[in-house]
Amino acid sequence: MTAPTAHLASVGTCLPGEPVDNATLAKFVGVDETWAEMFIGNTSRYFAVDLATGQVRYSLADIAATAADRALAEAGLGPSDIDCVVMGTATPDHLMPATVNLVADRLGIDNVPTYQLQSGCAGAVQALDVARTLLLAGRCATVLVIGGDVCAKHLERDFDPGSRTSAELVNYALFGDGAGAAVLSTDPLGTGIAIRQVLNRLVGLGREPGQIIDWFGLGDRHSDRPAVSEDYKAIEETVPPLAQQMFWELLGDLGWGADQVDFLLPPQLSGRMSDRISAAMPAPGARRINVVRTVGNNGNALPFLQLAELLSQWDGPGRAVAVAVESSKWIKSGFALERS
Amino acid sequence: MTVREPIAVVGLDCRFPGARDAQEYWALLMDGRDGTGRVPEQRWDAERYHAVPPSAPQSAREARPPGRSNTVRGGFIHDPDAFDPAFFGIAPREAAAMDPQQRLLLQCSWRAIEDAAIAPQDLAGTATGVFVGVMANEWAYLALKDYDTITARYGSGNGYFMGANRVSYHLDLKGPSLAVDTACSSSLVAVHLAMNSLRWGECDHALVAGTNLIMTPVINIFYTQAGLSAPDGRCKPFSAAADGIGRAEGVAVLMLRRLSDALADRQPVYAVLKETGSNQDGRSNGITAPNRWAQEQLIESVWQRAGITADDIGFIEAHGTGTLLGDFIEAQALGRLTSGRSGGSVALGSVKSNFGHAEGAAGIAGLIKAVLALHHRTVPPSRFAHDENPKLDLPGQRLSLLKSPLRLPSGTVHAAVSSFGMGGSNAHAVLASAPRVVHRTRPGAPGVFTVSARGPERLRANLLAQADALSRRPGDQLAQLCWTSNRVKSRLPHRVAVAAADLPTLVAELRKAAERGDERGATRRAAPSVAFAFTGQGAQHPGMAAQWYRSCPAYALHFDEVDKLLAPHTGQSVRDLILDGDPEIHRARLAQPALFAVGYAMAATLTEAGIKPSYVIGHSIGEFAAACVAGALDPADAARLVARRGELMETLPEDGGMLAVALDAAEVEPLLAGRQRLGLAAVNGPRRTVVAGDLGELTALKAELTERKVAARPLTVSHAFHSPLMQPMVEEFRRACADVSDRRPNLPFLSTVHGRELTGDQTLDADYWARQITAPVRFAEAAHALLTTDITHVVEIGPASVLTPLLARLRTAAGSTASLHTAHPGEHAPGHRPQQLFGELWCAGLTPDWDVLYTESDRLPRRLPPYLFDESFRAWRSGSAPDRPEPSVPPTGADAAVPPLTDRGESCPPTPAGELPDSLAALARRLVCRVGGHDPDLLHDDTRLHEDLGFDSIQAMELKTRIESELPQLGTLPVEELLESMRTVGDLVRYLRDRDLADAAVTLTPEGTG
Repeated sequence: MTAPTAHLASVGTCLPGEPVDNATLAKFVGVDETWAEMFIGNTSRYFAVDLATGQVRYSLADIAATAADRALAEAGLGPSDIDCVVMGTATPDHLMPATVNLVADRLGIDNVPTYQLQSGCAGAVQALDVARTLLLAGRCATVLVIGGDVCAKHLERDFDPGSRTSAELVNYALFGDGAGAAVLSTDPLGTGIAIRQVLNRLVGLGREPGQIIDWFGLGDRHSDRPAVSEDYKAIEETVPPLAQQMFWELLGDLGWGADQVDFLLPPQLSGRMSDRISAAMPAPGARRINVVRTVGNNGNALPFLQLAELLSQWDGPGRAVAVAVESSKWIKSGFALERS
Repeated sequence: MTVREPIAVVGLDCRFPGARDAQEYWALLMDGRDGTGRVPEQRWDAERYHAVPPSAPQSAREARPPGRSNTVRGGFIHDPDAFDPAFFGIAPREAAAMDPQQRLLLQCSWRAIEDAAIAPQDLAGTATGVFVGVMANEWAYLALKDYDTITARYGSGNGYFMGANRVSYHLDLKGPSLAVDTACSSSLVAVHLAMNSLRWGECDHALVAGTNLIMTPVINIFYTQAGLSAPDGRCKPFSAAADGIGRAEGVAVLMLRRLSDALADRQPVYAVLKETGSNQDGRSNGITAPNRWAQEQLIESVWQRAGITADDIGFIEAHGTGTLLGDFIEAQALGRLTSGRSGGSVALGSVKSNFGHAEGAAGIAGLIKAVLALHHRTVPPSRFAHDENPKLDLPGQRLSLLKSPLRLPSGTVHAAVSSFGMGGSNAHAVLASAPRVVHRTRPGAPGVFTVSARGPERLRANLLAQADALSRRPGDQLAQLCWTSNRVKSRLPHRVAVAAADLPTLVAELRKAAERGDERGATRRAAPSVAFAFTGQGAQHPGMAAQWYRSCPAYALHFDEVDKLLAPHTGQSVRDLILDGDPEIHRARLAQPALFAVGYAMAATLTEAGIKPSYVIGHSIGEFAAACVAGALDPADAARLVARRGELMETLPEDGGMLAVALDAAEVEPLLAGRQRLGLAAVNGPRRTVVAGDLGELTALKAELTERKVAARPLTVSHAFHSPLMQPMVEEFRRACADVSDRRPNLPFLSTVHGRELTGDQTLDADYWARQITAPVRFAEAAHALLTTDITHVVEIGPASVLTPLLARLRTAAGSTASLHTAHPGEHAPGHRPQQLFGELWCAGLTPDWDVLYTESDRLPRRLPPYLFDESFRAWRSGSAPDRPEPSVPPTGADAAVPPLTDRGESCPPTPAGELPDSLAALARRLVCRVGGHDPDLLHDDTRLHEDLGFDSIQAMELKTRIESELPQLGTLPVEELLESMRTVGDLVRYLRDRDLADAAVTLTPEGTG
């Protein structure tokens, strides 16, 4: 019996509501439109909350279930075909129950192992890693992988325009909500794409976190710690070299040359930064798949949105490499795809 | 259709002890819960027929007191007396006379069909078969005991033969219809018959049912007397604790189709029946004894026909009654086939562990369990598996009782189901998981969800049930769920329709509708008669009815079609103009063709949906689309004419206007005398008159009216339509109309030129269209004429609600009750307006063909919760002993009457207590005689128990019990050993002697006593 291969059977995504452009963002949260365009580079994003009314329209479970349902439909599978669910998110609906289990319930999935990874931008890759490992070990035949984030909790509409710090303004312009999902299978279903390698490495020893999302309870809810904080300088400096390392490590593992890579899915931070990182990445001949400019930085959903975009552009044989860097406690991650 | 065509299970519904529907059934199984309970008081007085046998009975009579059962428990369903007679059009009196099995079969059948995403009404008149497995006829025992009270309805309400016929009758199903009774295997044999019927093409759909209601303690007493009844009323299959049968109820229906048909219809499939089979024990070890060889042969042949071996089987749902003998024989029979299996053991279980033996419904209970297990890819655990009977050597047979749920692997998985009947009729089925099918969803597609019920109260309950189910579905399925509701749930008189573009809104609106109770009930009109009223100029606005183009595929097609017809004449795409929301739409050159296009496409969409007009009326330019619908004008001609008409009007100087005057036409006409450049433009109703013409003269008229305190409002128009100012273009337009054939409309055409229906040889010729330009629009008269016909519904066709308010005023005067509808209320209409309109028309009693609202990919059946019936009607008969006086003497008493039966064995003096039998051989002979009622003189050592004395398994078990109670020192006799020893009387005596000696040896060893 030959060792099983993990195939990417399908991808599904869900972006809540209508796109929110910079003008709308300026109107409701006081971000300067031109500044957002120039310095962040994102032109639109999606929010689970209705900015006009402040009403939360979708939970993470809602949009993750929709994305997952789309992935299942795309693969032609039903809930009972799924042997395992792995989800990555930085912003679960609750600390308990884990959102992955609410999503499973919504989809009608039961009696299977489920995992939720508390993760940032590398979460989708970590989830893919868990899924692929289970497939290769013969533990499962079909795994649903989900990633998504919802930042409604951190969107403050009631504010004093003068009091926003520039770091807060960056956050508003940068982030958005979304969910993505993929079905991985040992059967060559759907796209005919094999997942050749998935890598994850913590590289945070001695490094200060580049991003912190805090959480509060009854005991400390009045503390003045910021809910979200980022060290943009550190991110700007550290992400590009880590991304390049990961790229080379993947290629080294597989024995691929940089010129054999047809598509590159670079880390997605902001529209501007991703363009910069993307341009500096090796394999200049590989077509770049960047999506953050229009969908916003929705964390764990981004790699799935890149995959969906990749699938729409990719027909015929070829190779693709994706890299994601999580700047919280610094994780570099990536995966390699091949269609023969 | 082939001999081996797999049969799909597409729908199901069931009620079992502890489970009111399939969902609860699955939960019960997965949780490994016990569905048994005490005999409900309504059934019979459990205590009265209960006797606990003493621990050391002095006699067989004492061990099994006659007329008594050893248990007060069993598996009973909730509310078996509830029924919804009105739903099926059955008189309550008739319903009360009907066997509750018939009532519940009707409801379960309805729900199973709905579960298959089919409207039961769509099966009416089709070759749909009904196969009902049933063995209980207890209602008849209770209902027919008094001959004088037997009426016709008692006849039709009783007899289990009516079970299938009742369903076929009420649902108007014309395929084969039969009650199947093979004892406990009835319902699986019914499945086998249905499968063959479908394969032969005798029917295209089949309802297969099993039913068992326990109304009297008769079978409990029988099981007790036969030594088959478990004292705790629970079956404990394959368990060391197995001590007999606990009885259970159940009503279940499966909907079957040929797999190829189901896949062609994209119907959801739970699982697939690959092969079924049935055989008989023949002359086995007694008529009630199971037969290992027959079981083995049947299973082997079914597996062979299904093309599978033990290696392919994922799990086996066994008959598993929990009698020592039955379990032993079944495990042996299966083991012969599975013990050589490669890989691990095959999972084994029996649903009887959860609630007992449902007899006539037992086979289908096991089948549904297997079907749901394949559907969920998880096999529920079997209760009592933790206490497996080691003597069965299940591991040696490569069989493993499931202690916890088993997750099935991906890909095709097979399952096997057995059901055996007392008397020897066996059935077996092999199932496979449903084939994988790819279905796409279209994100964001809107839909209209329809819920209907027989009465307002049920409507609310069903609305809430649907809302709950929908709240747990993924959002993209919205349109598919809506389409399914249209297909399955839109036929009953009390109705609510909710159109929505997203699932949360739909759920919220359904709940609101349930709270409001705002259903449009029972709009029953024998023959609805619909009129289309086409709006005229003034209703146009940028982006008008673009919602229709975007959300209704049929409208988009019709609109594209008419846009193509118009384009050569307008020089641009009216469609693009509308979709772009271009304000240029207000120019007559574009407004008139655009209004025509919208009206034409809307009318074509509704007509395609089966909303066909019986009358048409058009206001001004609206008459062109009306004429097309009435068949008096070709769309291509109409397109050319409206474009030309608008173009000619636009070339006229913009020196005219229109004034709405709050006076009757008769009051306005004198005011126009002497005003040459003014004319009566439209008579829209009482105090709704429009005057058109020269702006200067209009201003003067307005001043005069203001002075007289008459309201007059200038209209925003580019020209004075329907006024003398239009005269310069009339001749040119007449020429354009010259080559239009003067066909007569094939529908009543209410002409707003004439102010009445077009009659006789009046046609829509060039003169008509030319005259239409300057003539006043006599809408009020024409509409009045319309409203005095038999019209039941008027739909205003156009991009805004203009005629509807006018019609509403005219309706009262005409004494009409026609319901009025606006296809499109205007620019603020929601994106899913077509869906809303269809819902509105349906609530008003029309029957649209919903398909036109959905793309092909959204016309995908999805399961919705089946109908919730009214449970307020109740009818039941409690089971008392029919014709015998109450047992007044305690039957266990020393002086209990000797039964009239000749029991030769009883003539033997009972062994005095505490005294050892004089001879083991004599005792064995005496017991054999007692069990079978044989003459002791005819018994010899070489007499064969089975062949000569007719011993069957029940008698063997009875003998075992008697030996054990007479010879307690022998302990419990292993059933397999005893059976081995029971070939002849001599063998039996030798066995007992050996055992006696062995036991004596044990008791002599001090360690052995500890």
